[in-house]
Amino acid sequence: MKADTAIEVRNLVTHYGDRAILKDISFSIPKGKTTVILGGSGCGKSTLLKHLIGLLKPTSGNIFINDRDIALMDETALNDMRKKIGILFQGAALLNSLTIAENVALPIREHTKLEKSTVDIMVRMKLDLVNLSGFEHFYPAQLSGGMKKRAGIARAMALDPEILYFDEPSAGLDPVTAAGLDELIIKLRDVFRMTIVVVTHELPSVFMIADHVIMLDAGNVLFSGPLAELTASDHPKIRRFLERKAEEESENPEDYLKIIAGE
Amino acid sequence: MKIEIVDYKGMKVISPAGEIDMHSSPILRKEIMAFVGQRITPLVVDLKEVTYIDSSGIATFVEGLKGAMSYGGKLKLLGLAPQIREIFSFSKLDKVFEIHSSADDIIQG
Repeated sequence: MKADTAIEVRNLVTHYGDRAILKDISFSIPKGKTTVILGGSGCGKSTLLKHLIGLLKPTSGNIFINDRDIALMDETALNDMRKKIGILFQGAALLNSLTIAENVALPIREHTKLEKSTVDIMVRMKLDLVNLSGFEHFYPAQLSGGMKKRAGIARAMALDPEILYFDEPSAGLDPVTAAGLDELIIKLRDVFRMTIVVVTHELPSVFMIADHVIMLDAGNVLFSGPLAELTASDHPKIRRFLERKAEEESENPEDYLKIIAGE
Repeated sequence: MKIEIVDYKGMKVISPAGEIDMHSSPILRKEIMAFVGQRITPLVVDLKEVTYIDSSGIATFVEGLKGAMSYGGKLKLLGLAPQIREIFSFSKLDKVFEIHSSADDIIQG
């Protein structure tokens, strides 16, 4: 692995049953930058994210983080690796029975032997970072969608991860709240020089936060490179995506008849 | 991380070296809180040998400052590398802690 590479994926193949989802894909994610994994619905981006955090094992291929192949790790080694990563899940995945402060404190209490007084200060620092000071004692149900996401980021940041993953961060948010979240992502990259990986199909977000883009299409890497190269690309599929044009009809009438007639 | 207590012209200085992270900050906390227990002021920490500090390290300094303030004491930091200073500045803590360039600077007051 090169020194400026955070994650390297080599020849990754994965299946759900007999169906190939990721088809021998290879790419690198640069260290200290924001990489957006982009693609239409069903292209394999959520499946890829699950592999990057070790939730799924590939059929074949390698995923290197800090020179170690997480595809070969057992559960103990994976849990150690996961202490160095933070994840913001789509629905924020906060525990509803705990306050926001307790949610953020949970990973610190689980994985460190820090004094409660130290943990309490850390939690207040994390909540201040995401502009949730004063909401420590609120429960998730008492927060708006955008606030829940920010609380989820505070919890993802609890153990000062090297890599922060975001799964569709703007999903379900209004454009103004989504833009606020994008600004926070930029701030985290700039100040903590974190490697940030965002899975999304929201174009305004991509243009705002991405340094590097990996575009998937039907389980293949269609593009991997800097944002400027993506926007300058004249590849028809990339242009269609960027210009929000619908896919062209892929079937001719005879094929369509065969499908609906069940032949 | 290693910690030394250095005597500099009659002033006791806590000098950690290496990385202050979630594993090592309890050791730093023990030293700082021992100074607080003796009501030492200023409580001086030299960070010139520190290569990395995470949020548990910063929280430890906040705890130390809180403890020192309880008896009217001060916590002073010196020798911050630019990337560590940036973290303090981002957390707005550069305005909370007294940050000095050298121990002589503190003595001259």
